[in-house]
Amino acid sequence: MISPRLQSTLGCYGIVLPSLALLTLFVYLPVAWAFVGSVYEFEIGAEAQFVGFANYAEYIWQDPTALPSLLNMLALTLIAVAVRLSFPLVVARLIYALPTERWRYVYRVIFLAPVVVPGVAIQLIWSGMIFSDAGLLNQLLESIGLVHWSRGWLADPETALLAVAAVGFPFVGGFEVLIYYAGFSSIPDSVNEASAIDGCTGWQKFFRIDIPMVLSQLKLILILTIISGVQGFEHLFILTRGGPGFETTVPGLWMYFNAFSFQRMGYACAIGVLLFILVFGLTMLNLRYFKSSEQLQGVR
Amino acid sequence: MSLKRLPLILIVVVGTWLLLPPSKPESTDSAPSSAAPEDVRYTIKVSPGRAYLPGTHPYGIGEPLRGLADVVAAFEKRFPDTRIDILTVPSVREYLVTQLSSGLAPDILNVNVEDVWTDVHKGWYVPLDSFLEKPNPFVVEAGDPQAPGVQQWWDMFRYQAISRGKAAPDGFSYCLTFDMVETGIYYNKSLFAQLGLEPPQDWEQFIAGMQRIQAHTRADGKPIVPLLINIAAFNDWTKDLFFDQVYRDLLPGIDLYQDLIREPYLDGYLDWDELAFLRQKGFFSRHDPRYRVVWERMLELKQFTNRNLMAEDLVREFVTQRAAMIWTVSPLSHRLQSDQNLGFDWDVFYVPPFTRETTQFAAGQQMCVIGGAATQLEVTNSAIADTDPSLPMADRIAQSERLQRVIALLQFLCMPEQYVQIVNEYPAYLPNIIGVEPLPVLKPFEKILARRYTTTKWVYSFGLRFSEIQRRMLELYLTGGAQLDEFLGWQEQNIDAATASMLRRKQPDTAHLERRWQELAPVRATMVGLPPLSAAAAQ
Repeated sequence: MISPRLQSTLGCYGIVLPSLALLTLFVYLPVAWAFVGSVYEFEIGAEAQFVGFANYAEYIWQDPTALPSLLNMLALTLIAVAVRLSFPLVVARLIYALPTERWRYVYRVIFLAPVVVPGVAIQLIWSGMIFSDAGLLNQLLESIGLVHWSRGWLADPETALLAVAAVGFPFVGGFEVLIYYAGFSSIPDSVNEASAIDGCTGWQKFFRIDIPMVLSQLKLILILTIISGVQGFEHLFILTRGGPGFETTVPGLWMYFNAFSFQRMGYACAIGVLLFILVFGLTMLNLRYFKSSEQLQGVR
Repeated sequence: MSLKRLPLILIVVVGTWLLLPPSKPESTDSAPSSAAPEDVRYTIKVSPGRAYLPGTHPYGIGEPLRGLADVVAAFEKRFPDTRIDILTVPSVREYLVTQLSSGLAPDILNVNVEDVWTDVHKGWYVPLDSFLEKPNPFVVEAGDPQAPGVQQWWDMFRYQAISRGKAAPDGFSYCLTFDMVETGIYYNKSLFAQLGLEPPQDWEQFIAGMQRIQAHTRADGKPIVPLLINIAAFNDWTKDLFFDQVYRDLLPGIDLYQDLIREPYLDGYLDWDELAFLRQKGFFSRHDPRYRVVWERMLELKQFTNRNLMAEDLVREFVTQRAAMIWTVSPLSHRLQSDQNLGFDWDVFYVPPFTRETTQFAAGQQMCVIGGAATQLEVTNSAIADTDPSLPMADRIAQSERLQRVIALLQFLCMPEQYVQIVNEYPAYLPNIIGVEPLPVLKPFEKILARRYTTTKWVYSFGLRFSEIQRRMLELYLTGGAQLDEFLGWQEQNIDAATASMLRRKQPDTAHLERRWQELAPVRATMVGLPPLSAAAAQ
């Protein structure tokens, strides 16, 4: 006879089991396979050869793209962190400050609407209509007499990385605004009222009351931005394919090229494992040293 | 039952319906087979590439294509037990690799054969030599004993050098060179007339003409880009043309290996192993004066081109007259010819040759052919799926009945009366079958194709990694991000890494190259512009 409690427990596990099985099959097993694959030299359809840690050693010590691409990744991630922790935060705070719920709703919709545009379309718009030779930016510069400033923004080694980082400007059309807004909305009225009574308003309130109260959201965005900064390369593939030269190449993009263009699967796995270790380490640091609002308040 | 459960029930019903398999196979673009499904013994999948895909409108112009569908319908009528599915697959390598490794690729596939070479040892592609060296049965059946194809299927092809030159480094031919493409420089004839320019006869005239165009502005005061070109063209066409111009004179002293099959057609072609060997002798380095000229002239050309070499819509710039010339392939003729509102006259010329004024190493010959095969049809492992995969390829070829039918389809497509319906349905590519003339608008390209074939095809010599790195660093060099020596340093590393990889994978015998190198020493002693011996010692 199974006790009701055990029955309930088994039922819960039963519900979770299919998802867990699929997760294991499609996520954890491939990850484990990548660890194994990283110590082999192999290509699809051909014999694999055990090479130990040679792939790791080659990437770290011999691959001339390793250091530049790491620096590119670092620069792009830092810029992404800076813009995602600032622009959407300010916009969310401005929406939160609107006097009526009706207008807050309207602005939330306006700022969320761009999310429905596929990322690929956005990249193509920026590369084809804004940064191209006859694009909006060059036309604008030429129309105000700054012809010598116009250039192939994505093709010029001096501007390619910055141009890539600028895609998406003004960086406020996304979920970040909603997440920050949710954080501001959850600030208790008593806190707002107490700060008003104490004369804490404007920028002072923003920095001393509001930001500490949305630290959980900032932490979440920070972690997600770092992870996407280390892993993401799709936008670079579309915009520049990592060029000119390796000026906008990141390790993830080089991993992709090695896996699917050069058929160096083992080498690509090694790069992937190194990226995994990097993301894991950064996330752990973040969790360890970046306090959430609950921790600051002593809730946890 | 409560109405509250109605949405849930609806979701379950609709979801189940969506998961049901289609009641009939996915539609194809070919004409429906006359055979009843139970009579169909072979279903052959063909991916011909976008140029001939039935139902499509090239450049959005005219009636939808139907030539291939009509020919396929005739084949199905002739072989009622066969159904042909025409489909399109992405030409991206990532997709093809998964399809081929799982044995699910179309039986006939259009992909650049150089991309095939890297996979031939995996048994993914069927060598076609044994079929090409036999008569085409449809020609024999037609009864003309003089017709090309009666002796060998090979004889039906007009451009023998290029067609046979597509043999892989292992000596086998894996592709049917179905038609031809060549590059040319389309130019705005009206603008040229306005500026008093003529198609240039040599490099100096070419540069001078572009300088005049650059100094000219449009009515709105905006500058005109003299020449539109993308980085892929720089990386591939430009390098091979310039290389041929400055190394042609050296061939008697450095062409070390004469391939018995290919050399009669490829006059002095340098294969990857020869290039790798020459690299060890100091060629293709910072110290190789001719190699430097190739890249210096390329940088000179870049001054007159579009700034963004990754730009993909260059045709727009040309048809809107923001640019005077565009270097591209023959299908653009269809686009320009059909445009009633183009607003200017156009024509085509080919890249003019270097002179001794351009460089002391100029061979003094016209620029060679760098184009060639356009639609390259390969037969994949799907065509021999009816045989035991553990058998050697030769046995599988001999045993496969399915393969015989696949080959029959290719032979049928090559019959002039069938072929003309496909290739000449609109002007894009030039016929490669004797007896089928190119459409009039493509005549300039026919003249270009009559020239000698290139000395080598660099981007296809070593593999995709080599090409990718060369493309990236070349873009950096051309856009001012690297000086020539820095760029050449990368190139040296790139060739060395590619050479090491090829040697490791193929382990060729290089002793005969060394012997031949020694034999040709007296010839080289009379030549100038060779890399110094110290450069070779430094390798």
